[in-house]
Amino acid sequence: MRLRTGWRGTIVVAAAAVLLAGCAPGGGGDSGGGGQQPQSSGDFRGKTLTYLYFTDGPDEQATRDAIAAFQKETGAKVDLQIIPFADLEASLRARLSGGQAPDVVRLADIAAFRDDLLDLAPYVGKDYADQFIDGMVTAAKSKDGGLLAVPSDLTMNGPFINLDMFQKAGIQPPTNEKPWTWDEMLANADKARQAARAQYSFAMDRSGHRVSTVLSQFGTRLITDGKETLDQAKAEKAIGTLTGLMTGGKADKDFWLASGSKYKGANEIFLAQATPVYLSGNWQVSQFAKATTFNWKAIPNPCAEQCGGFPGGKFIAALAKSDTPDLAAAFIKFSTSKEQQTALDIKAQFLPTRKDLVAQGVSYTSRSDDMAAFLADVKRTAQENYGTNTSPAFGVAAKAVVDEMSKVVAGQEDVATAVRNIKKATDTRLKEVGE
Amino acid sequence: MTATPVQERPRARRPATAKRRRPRPLGLRLAPYLFLLPNMLIFGVFTIYPAVNGFNLSLYDSRNLRTFNYVGTRNYERILSDEQFLSVVVNTLLFVVAFVAVSTTLSVLFAVLLDAQKRGRAFFRAVLFLPVLLSPVIVGLVWGWLLDRNTGLVNSVLGTVGLGQPGWLVEPRLALSAVVLVGVWTHLGFYSLIMLAGLQSIDANLYEAADLDGAGAWRKLTQITLPLLKPTTMVVLILATINGFQAFDFIYTLTGGGPVGATTLIVQFIYEKAFQSPIRYGLASAGSVLLFLTVFTITLINWLIGRRQEAT
Repeated sequence: MRLRTGWRGTIVVAAAAVLLAGCAPGGGGDSGGGGQQPQSSGDFRGKTLTYLYFTDGPDEQATRDAIAAFQKETGAKVDLQIIPFADLEASLRARLSGGQAPDVVRLADIAAFRDDLLDLAPYVGKDYADQFIDGMVTAAKSKDGGLLAVPSDLTMNGPFINLDMFQKAGIQPPTNEKPWTWDEMLANADKARQAARAQYSFAMDRSGHRVSTVLSQFGTRLITDGKETLDQAKAEKAIGTLTGLMTGGKADKDFWLASGSKYKGANEIFLAQATPVYLSGNWQVSQFAKATTFNWKAIPNPCAEQCGGFPGGKFIAALAKSDTPDLAAAFIKFSTSKEQQTALDIKAQFLPTRKDLVAQGVSYTSRSDDMAAFLADVKRTAQENYGTNTSPAFGVAAKAVVDEMSKVVAGQEDVATAVRNIKKATDTRLKEVGE
Repeated sequence: MTATPVQERPRARRPATAKRRRPRPLGLRLAPYLFLLPNMLIFGVFTIYPAVNGFNLSLYDSRNLRTFNYVGTRNYERILSDEQFLSVVVNTLLFVVAFVAVSTTLSVLFAVLLDAQKRGRAFFRAVLFLPVLLSPVIVGLVWGWLLDRNTGLVNSVLGTVGLGQPGWLVEPRLALSAVVLVGVWTHLGFYSLIMLAGLQSIDANLYEAADLDGAGAWRKLTQITLPLLKPTTMVVLILATINGFQAFDFIYTLTGGGPVGATTLIVQFIYEKAFQSPIRYGLASAGSVLLFLTVFTITLINWLIGRRQEAT
């Protein structure tokens, strides 16, 4: 009798599963993607805008100040909703799926939400995007030429040096006009290490994005114009240089191996004065300004075949399902205006995305020489690198770089195999996203 | 003579008083179910429905949780032919076997030691149970510091006795062993308490009789304690197997699944497919269904073996 009851329960569960299997989950299947007619920008008084935001730290107050200025100017209310960066994609997906989409969102990767974003061109004007760095704008354009997002801030990868260690070795840092070559940087780092008796010569964040900087300097990149373009020989040279530093004891091998597939910043190694050179990016400037007990300096990226760094950056976008697209677009235009971007860059020590600010520079109130080193590299960076960074396949390719480099460092494969596997993973992912 | 027992049998089965008993009012009969209803509702909404829907989702491909394409068994085919999944399965099996074997053996040992302890039994029991109360994330972080090759306490101690500096978290083989040990450390207190309860339910007269027969400690352990602990051991085995297959949180903070994927277990694989770009809800659900089937099958086998042994 007990057995029969058990079977009956099993049959009920199985029937429910079959019934559920018959109906596609999620229901509607509305992919969004537009359909909104531009509205004339009118009186926003009394209207409310939700802004989903993640903060890098120092930008939060600057953003709050910009919101206060916008509210004062328009009479609208902006509801700033701050969530951790790690939760952004899942949270935004869940909200879109549940019909609770915010009006405006700050995004690091727009590729995942292309179908959900509002074409801003009818609201802000077709030429508005021309004011921003070309490479970033290309990434923010839809297939039919619409403007899906506006570049709000730029990051640039680049090295920091422990000035005290270099001074001990009697080495002058490079100028923004004449960067070191890779060979010069590594030779000087070795001398500084010996002079200061530091543990390592070089440190770098455990990140495929940071390795892309080195790949670019050695004259190759993972993806160009939607195609896998990693040059086998050049990539072997770049990746071989980095893994050689680790296996040769000049960089921390354990640091690279110990965190699985997760991103890990090497800033603690630099802050502990265990290395004279640290490859990271401009977002470290404000942190180092507070946390260091020694003299340090940002220097221009070293050159091999090419100079310049590798960009990252954030975008501000409106959702197609916004109830107030005109207000959302007005807010985006206000936030990315010359005046507001200057204020944000100064307060948060960000780099500008506006061409006029890149050309004239930003007068940072502190560590302006360090920011100038990054700004100098913005001008030297190949425009194709922006496309690499914003390719929908870049995340998978960058993860493959880290995983394959780990295998080389652990002695499980050689550099040539690692590069071949990176190329294969990138190509497979590009085919998937092109489906 | 032959008719008498036939007449008596139904009387014995159904006493006369039972015939006269009035049916209870409907309200009273429903009361237990009404008390159970809130719990069953929560269980149904948050456990049964998502589980069944998870199976449903495994038959679809969705990258944004809004558009779903029916793909039949394609997610299962993809996952079973995925090289990473196969290495994750091997890691998981190695982890589960080692974790279950070590935790079960040590929990018996610690339970016997605790049972024999005359003084401070409560204190030692509390100390052993303490890791169970810690957050797995904290466990991962703290053991990460302790096992660090250069600055960790473990290697400092080993260094003082000339045993070198093993790369506990950066050498693939050592890393899996380290993860097993941390997992055992975390759960041992709980399993030991279950074993202790089992030990204390064994009739003390059996040991007295064995003493009178001149049995030594080893004989008593192998002939009385272990055989009578079998039902409790089975419970610990099942719990440890389930916990082994579910292991994720402390490993994710301890090694992140590294080095080179050596400690990536199946739950981390599912988590990464579901929540890290590129998001693949269908693949993640297929992985979850396979995990469920594996745990269910192993538990069923354990239970059947236990029942057969109980019967014999």
